[in-house]
Amino acid sequence: MSQKKVPITRLSKFFGQEDFALDISMGEEWLHGDMNFTLVLYRVDAQNTKTDDVYGEVVSDGIKFFPPVEFKGYVRIDAPSNERVNNSGVEYEFPGNLSVSVYKKQLEELNIDISYGDYIGYYESESRVRYYMVVDDGRVTSDNKHTYGGYKPFYRTILATYVPESEFRGL
Amino acid sequence: MALPKKLVKKIDLIPQKTGVARREQMLEYIKENGTYLPKSLLHAELDRGMLDFVKEDLKTVVDGKVVPTIDIIITLQNWSLFTETWKFQDLDKNASPPFITTVRQPEVKPGTNPSVKYNIPDRREFFYARVPTWDGTRKGLDIYKIPQPVPVDITYNVKIMCKRMRELNQFNKIVLQKFASRQAYRVINGHYIPIILNNISDESTMEMDKQKYYLQNYEFIMLGFLVDEEEFEVSPGITRSFLMIEAQNKTKARRVKKLPSSPKSFPLSYGVGDSETSTTITVPYSVDFLVDKNVNVDSYSVYINGDYVGDDVEIIQLNLNDVLLLEFTKKTAGQPASISGSATLQ
Repeated sequence: MSQKKVPITRLSKFFGQEDFALDISMGEEWLHGDMNFTLVLYRVDAQNTKTDDVYGEVVSDGIKFFPPVEFKGYVRIDAPSNERVNNSGVEYEFPGNLSVSVYKKQLEELNIDISYGDYIGYYESESRVRYYMVVDDGRVTSDNKHTYGGYKPFYRTILATYVPESEFRGL
Repeated sequence: MALPKKLVKKIDLIPQKTGVARREQMLEYIKENGTYLPKSLLHAELDRGMLDFVKEDLKTVVDGKVVPTIDIIITLQNWSLFTETWKFQDLDKNASPPFITTVRQPEVKPGTNPSVKYNIPDRREFFYARVPTWDGTRKGLDIYKIPQPVPVDITYNVKIMCKRMRELNQFNKIVLQKFASRQAYRVINGHYIPIILNNISDESTMEMDKQKYYLQNYEFIMLGFLVDEEEFEVSPGITRSFLMIEAQNKTKARRVKKLPSSPKSFPLSYGVGDSETSTTITVPYSVDFLVDKNVNVDSYSVYINGDYVGDDVEIIQLNLNDVLLLEFTKKTAGQPASISGSATLQ
């Protein structure tokens, strides 16, 4: 891909980069300053993670990750669902999925990227943290919703599902 | 390295029985730790046997850890109760994969096991055993009868829930090896119960936005039978009284000892001559004289110690030294007359 940068001149009669940056900073002030939903990102170290030779599955307690990074985002957690799993008689209360909207600017500032398979820890209380695995890293932000009025993409929506502690339990 | 063929890897210290001896051994298993009758085998026992089969015969070890088995039949009611107490759950009280569950299909169908499928109608009781009895006096036999077992087919779904293919592979390998000959056996209360592998299916969840896990279902059919001890019948058979007879071993018969004649009763007779009509006797004993016969006597009068007793008295009571006077009226004069009978000592 070409490294050449092309200025965005869309909406230039009433909106520009300065306005965009101002709105983003105002949004960050609200999200980071007022809301302050803090999450911890555990990026999987694919090189050092112990995996199965044939299936590539992680062996028990074999997940290795880079140093955890705190980040802020707008958190939404779905309601849990109580299900009987496929006529097995096993009743599960599946915790709801985690959906996090995060400013791209923040990710750039922290020099992190959130990828499919990474884990996110979210403290529900002082002593209880729940871990989620990223199943949709929201990398594609071309849609109108993720662009500021069609100007430029400015946030990503990360979708993550709950993982039991037998799979991942953080530090 | 392959072992030489002639090298015996395992030596049976106890020789294996075959044929009739093996059958008798199996019969002993049925009665072991119990009565002479086979132990009851109902739905609950069959379910327990299936759980033990899954736990022991299908024991799966992955990465040095035993995949836990839920040691109850999952029913409508008890899952949530059980989850409160089990050991492999997470902070949400959810079972933490991997684990193995056993679900029984509620309906129990008539059996298809050919060895017990064809039976005799009307639930007849059949002879099972003769059991000797002894109550301290009498020796006898009790006859034990049982009806033919009722064949049943019970379908179990054994499910493994896990998150790694290796765990699936391990469990699958164990099951297929176990059922390489189509059926496996489980000894339940001494009875050999065949179990067949009917089907294997995958119910894994692969949706992107859900927690992903493998869930595979192994459908087993237990070709069981019901033996209900409530239907057993014990009835008394032959009973013998214990009689003791004492006998001498002498070969010569013993002479019977003659007893003297009874002195208590003897014949007695009194009479008069041709020309006499009365006689007086001093009685030498105390007797009751029973007169039952006379000769040429029309009638006679009895006097004892000068006192008139009566005419033709049939029983004359006489005491020692009584003076007895008998006066006869003869039928034919000039002929002797007498009375006679038996005297019994008083």
